[in-house]
Amino acid sequence: MGKLTISIPTGRMKEESLALLSRLPQCPPLDLINSRQLVVEREDLPWRIIFSHPKDSSTYVEFGAADIGIVGKDILLERENEVYELLELPIGKCTMVLAAPLSTSREELLKKEALRIATKYPNFTRRYLQERGITANIVFLYGSIELAPPIGLADAIVDLVSTGKTLRENRLQVVEEITPVSGRLVANSISIKIHSQEINFLVEELKEVTSYV
Amino acid sequence: MELVLGMKDSYPSEVKRKREMEFVLRHLFEEWGYEEVEPPTIEYYSTLENTLGDEAKERVYKFVDRNGKLVSLRPEFTTSIMRMYSKKELRESAPHRVYYVGKIFRYPSSPLRVEGELTQLGLENLGKNGIDTDAEIIALALSALLALQELGIEDFMLDIGHVGIFQGLLSSLPLSPPEKLFLKTLLKKKDFVALENFTSISSHPLFPFLLHLPFLRGKREILEETKNNYPLSPPLVEALNYLREIWDIISDFHLEEHVFINLGLVRDFDYYTGVVFEGFSPRSGYPLLTGGRYDELLEKSENSLPACGFALFLERLMEVQRVNPKEKHSFFITITYPPFLRSSIFILAEELRKEGIPIIMEEKGEDIQVLQEKELIYQGKDEEKIKTIILERFKSWES
Repeated sequence: MGKLTISIPTGRMKEESLALLSRLPQCPPLDLINSRQLVVEREDLPWRIIFSHPKDSSTYVEFGAADIGIVGKDILLERENEVYELLELPIGKCTMVLAAPLSTSREELLKKEALRIATKYPNFTRRYLQERGITANIVFLYGSIELAPPIGLADAIVDLVSTGKTLRENRLQVVEEITPVSGRLVANSISIKIHSQEINFLVEELKEVTSYV
Repeated sequence: MELVLGMKDSYPSEVKRKREMEFVLRHLFEEWGYEEVEPPTIEYYSTLENTLGDEAKERVYKFVDRNGKLVSLRPEFTTSIMRMYSKKELRESAPHRVYYVGKIFRYPSSPLRVEGELTQLGLENLGKNGIDTDAEIIALALSALLALQELGIEDFMLDIGHVGIFQGLLSSLPLSPPEKLFLKTLLKKKDFVALENFTSISSHPLFPFLLHLPFLRGKREILEETKNNYPLSPPLVEALNYLREIWDIISDFHLEEHVFINLGLVRDFDYYTGVVFEGFSPRSGYPLLTGGRYDELLEKSENSLPACGFALFLERLMEVQRVNPKEKHSFFITITYPPFLRSSIFILAEELRKEGIPIIMEEKGEDIQVLQEKELIYQGKDEEKIKTIILERFKSWES
């Protein structure tokens, strides 16, 4: 059987993912492949690598285009891909929050009639609101979420926050920390059967190199 | 004239492949002494309700009949067949070996998918429990997949697991009922990160076993290894021993080549009580065959009837089928003839059809023409000569 195919997200988590994998004993330094190539097949690499759009990484794995993948928990929460979620990785750490303008208190926000919440994560937000018993209209945006309250598009937002700098710049505050988010190692449900030894081995090794972080 | 969302039309070449599979499988099941049954397409929703999980319930097509009762298109056959055989006189004349072929209906799991209607072919052994029956069913599942090899279903595998492993774990772990439910959900969602953070049991000696479940897969040795590596409780050891006995019977049948023991195998339907199994191919993300033992499906209606069975998903099998492009062509012969030859051409066509040559008659033209897919091969008026040419051509196409 050939090498495992691993899907690595481009963007925010790409460098961190490559740095993490480079620490594995069987892996050469990966900074060389930091190219614009989307599929990397090299003899000295223990895997075939596919670079994917961050939101697509777990979909590649779900449909078996990759056996394993690295993906943000935020994407898993939104897409609910049918994949094995095997390991929490110490990369891409941030928090999913409900945030509102500094001028609006928490009580004012939750009492508001016809509440509007802007987000890039409509499925996740709908489930969260349902569980919390909050009735609101969701405004689905692709970017610049934090701009929605100042321009009057929404009363609050559900989004990822790492340092909080963007929130402060837009005069927003965290109303509720919904869930911590970080990178995850996921596996295709058929690959985990066929390659259970190799995947198990990789999980154990990753656990080892991340345990003292 | 729009196609209903989630539904799919099948054109001749596809239907042909499906019927070929059906033919091979029906033949096999009959050889093993199974007889065909045909439950109706709709059932009262209340019949199905108890056997389905929450997600499966949402995916059932439901509507109201003229008396205001909720009815459903069958989402699978097993419950219908259990209903058929729950009658007292049939329970008393057990065992019954039956098979079925037909459509099942489930709203697609996503609006982007086309899988509202699937063809299932499966069988049930009703009224008998015990390891020999389980082994018979697994051997038949393997024989079914092996029989499909000649139709291009290659590199399949069959994973065997046991519900007792998960149940044994649940009974051994000190958890409240809501925690047990939560644990079950996490396992179904395959979220091992959340499992690892399940702090109330993280110091339990069986916790490492739980976390390793997806990797505990292999041939017979995996059973001994697991017993040596983890402090298993008696119900777990019992389940493992059962799987070893099954393995030994399957290997006495010389069928173990494609079989793997998979201790982490969890099936979607909640009604399984013993051995469970799943056939799949590296070329598809969905199982090709699923089955297991479900002795308590009828227990709620106090007419217990032990049963074991499986179903094959024909569309998924076709997805992984390697199709020989030559065989895909359907072929028939078109004879074009002038009106005055109508009567003699009809006699000739009937003769050829009896020999298994598909003939299409087209009345027009002045000359007699013999065509195969628009290719003209003969022009003339001699009937005997046409017949000879057609037969010769047919033989050369056939070989």
